Amino acid sequence: MDFLTDAAGIKTMTQLALIIDLNVCVGCHACVTSCKEWNTSGWAGPMTDFNPYGEDPTGTFFNRVQTFEIGEYPKTETVHFPKSCLHCEEPPCVPVCPTGASYKREKDGIVLVDYDKCIGCKYCSWACPYGAREIDEKQKVMKKCTLCVDRIYDESLAKNERRPACVMACPTSARLFGDIHDPDSEVSETIRESGGYQLMPEWGSKPANHYLPRRKNRITLHRDELERADNPLKKEGILPEPPSDQKTLDETTSW
Amino acid sequence: MKITYSELKGKSPGFFIVLGVLAAIAAIGLGSAYYMEHEGHHVTGMSNQIVWGLPHIFALFLIVAASGILNVASIGTVFGKKAYKPLGRLSGLMAITMLAGGLAILVLDLGRPDRLVVAMTTYNFKSIFSWNIYLYNGFLLIVGVYLWMMMERKMQKYYPYAGFVAFIWRLILTTGTGSIFGFLVAREAYDTAILAPLFVLLSFALGMAVFLLYIIIAFQSCDRPLGDGLLQRMKKLLGIFVASVFYFVVVYHLTNLYLTNQHAFEAFILLNGGIYTFLFWVGYILIGTIAPLAIFYHPTFGQTRHAVTLGSALILVGGWSLLYVIIIGGQAFPLEIFPGKEVIESSFFDGVVASYAPSLWEFLLGMAGIAIALIATVLGTRILPFMPDTLDDAVVNPQAD
Repeated sequence: MDFLTDAAGIKTMTQLALIIDLNVCVGCHACVTSCKEWNTSGWAGPMTDFNPYGEDPTGTFFNRVQTFEIGEYPKTETVHFPKSCLHCEEPPCVPVCPTGASYKREKDGIVLVDYDKCIGCKYCSWACPYGAREIDEKQKVMKKCTLCVDRIYDESLAKNERRPACVMACPTSARLFGDIHDPDSEVSETIRESGGYQLMPEWGSKPANHYLPRRKNRITLHRDELERADNPLKKEGILPEPPSDQKTLDETTSW
Repeated sequence: MKITYSELKGKSPGFFIVLGVLAAIAAIGLGSAYYMEHEGHHVTGMSNQIVWGLPHIFALFLIVAASGILNVASIGTVFGKKAYKPLGRLSGLMAITMLAGGLAILVLDLGRPDRLVVAMTTYNFKSIFSWNIYLYNGFLLIVGVYLWMMMERKMQKYYPYAGFVAFIWRLILTTGTGSIFGFLVAREAYDTAILAPLFVLLSFALGMAVFLLYIIIAFQSCDRPLGDGLLQRMKKLLGIFVASVFYFVVVYHLTNLYLTNQHAFEAFILLNGGIYTFLFWVGYILIGTIAPLAIFYHPTFGQTRHAVTLGSALILVGGWSLLYVIIIGGQAFPLEIFPGKEVIESSFFDGVVASYAPSLWEFLLGMAGIAIALIATVLGTRILPFMPDTLDDAVVNPQAD
C-alpha cells in the first residue's frame, strides 16, 4: 500500500489510524502480546519489563486492554477496550515537549518520539488526555505506539503483512488499519457506516483512531418465516424420542 | 547609622560542621540520583500514572521559594521600604542558591540527565516547559546582575532598574511554574488559570518563611545582632501572604465544587483520598495555615522570636503538603476517559487511583537539593559580603517607610 498517493498518483494528506470494533473485541490481549513481541525486538525496543512473573510486575506496553462494566446490575454488560496512542490530529503531547522529541509526521500523521532527543522529563505524559504515554523504566525515555512504522513500509514483507502487529494478530478482526483521510478507504467507510467515534472529542485533540460502538443486532421474524416450506409432515417441533430400549444403529449394523 | 556588610569569618568548628553535614547530605543524594539513573526508574516509586514524584515536590518547593525570597529585596528596591534594604543582598543570593538547588533536583530527576545539553540547545518554543528553561536561566542572570549593581559602588545608580526587572521577571517565572500545571487540559486537578496566581502567592509565603528562618539561624550562629522589630514586621507580612494563599486555595476548590463534573475529584482530595486528604487538611490547612496564623497573631506569644521561627517552619510544612496534594494528588486521580463507565478490570492498573509510595532514593535526592542550596548560600556569604554586620532595630529602624 502506498499511503502517499491516491489512485491517480496524486500526493494526498494522509492520516493513518486504527479502527477498533468494540462489538467484536473479546479482550483476549492478543493485540497486547503481539505488539509487545514486535516492538520490543524492533525499532522501538526494547520495551523493558521488571519483575514480569512476580507479584508486582511493571513494564512498557504500547497497547493495553481495559474492561468496563456498563449499566446497573443485573442489567450489565462488559466491554473490552483496547487503548493505545490515538495518533491525534492535534496531539497535545507534541507542543508541550521541550526539545521537540515528540513530533507528528506530516506524511502519514503518525505521532512518534525521537528517543535520541527525549530527555525523559515526562511532561508529555501529563499532557496526553488518554494516558497513552509510557516511560521505559530502563531507557528512561517516553515511548508509545508507533503504528508499527517499522513494519508498514517494509517492502521486504508481503503486502498483506505491512500492517501493525496488533491488526495482524487480532483473532476476531476487531482491528482495522488504514487512511482515515481517504474517503474511499475501508476504514473511512467503516467509520461512516458503522458509527465510528473518537474518544473524548471534547478535548479538541481529534484522535485519529476511532472506535466502533457496541451494537445490538436484532431481527424481526414473522411466523411464516419460521415454518419450513418443504416440511413433509407440515408439522414443526422436536421429533418424538425413540424408546430407551430400542437398539442403536451401531448395534443393528455390522459396519 | 550606616549599614555595613562583611563576609563570614568561617573559621569556627561550627562552620565546618555545618558545611560537612550539608556536604554529606548532598553527596548521599547525588549517590542516590546516580543509583536511580543507573538502575532505572523502577527503583523509584514513580510509574506511568505518577510520573513526577517526591523529587519534583522538593524541586518545586525550592524553585517557588527562590522566587519568593527575592521579594525581600524587591520590597526594598521596587517598593522603597527602607527597613528591607539591608536584606537585599542576602535575598538576592538566596534566590539564586535556592533556584540552583531546585534545578539540580529537576535535572537529576530527568529520565536522561545526561541529555541536559539537548534540553539547553534544542528548544520547542511552543512548550511551556521550554519557556521555563528560559525563565529559570534568565532569573539567575538577572538576579546576578541585580546583585552586582547592588554591591558594586559604581553601578549602584542602576540597581533600582535591575531590581524592577528582577521583580517583574520573578512574577513571570512563578506564573510560568504554576502554568506548567495550569496549561494541562486533560486532568481534573489542573486546566485552570488560578494555579498561576496561587503559585505566585505560595512563592511569597514560602520565600518569606525560608528567608526568616535562615536569618534567624544564621545571625544567631554568627553572633550578629538581629532586631525583633524587623522580624515582627516581616512576620506580619508573612501572615498576609499565608492568608492570601489560603484565599486562592479556597477559590480553587470552591470553583471545582460548583462544577458537577469535578465532584469526584474534589471528593478524592477533600474526603476520601487517603494521604492526599490528610496532607490537605492536616498538613496544609491545620499545620500550614491555621496554626501559623494563630501563632503570628497571638497577642503575647506572637510577639516573640520563637513565634516567628515556629510559624515560619509550620508554613514550610504546609507549603510542602500543598504542593504534594496538587502535584501527586492530581496525578493519582485517574484520567476520565470513559465518563459514566466503571473500570472493573485492567491488566495494567488503568482507570483506578494510582498508588505512589516514594522510595528512599527519591527522598535523598530531594534532600540533596536543599543541601546544595544551603551550601551555596553559606559559601556565598563566606566569600562575599552578603550579610549585614548588624540588623539591630536601632540600626535598621524597622518602622521606617
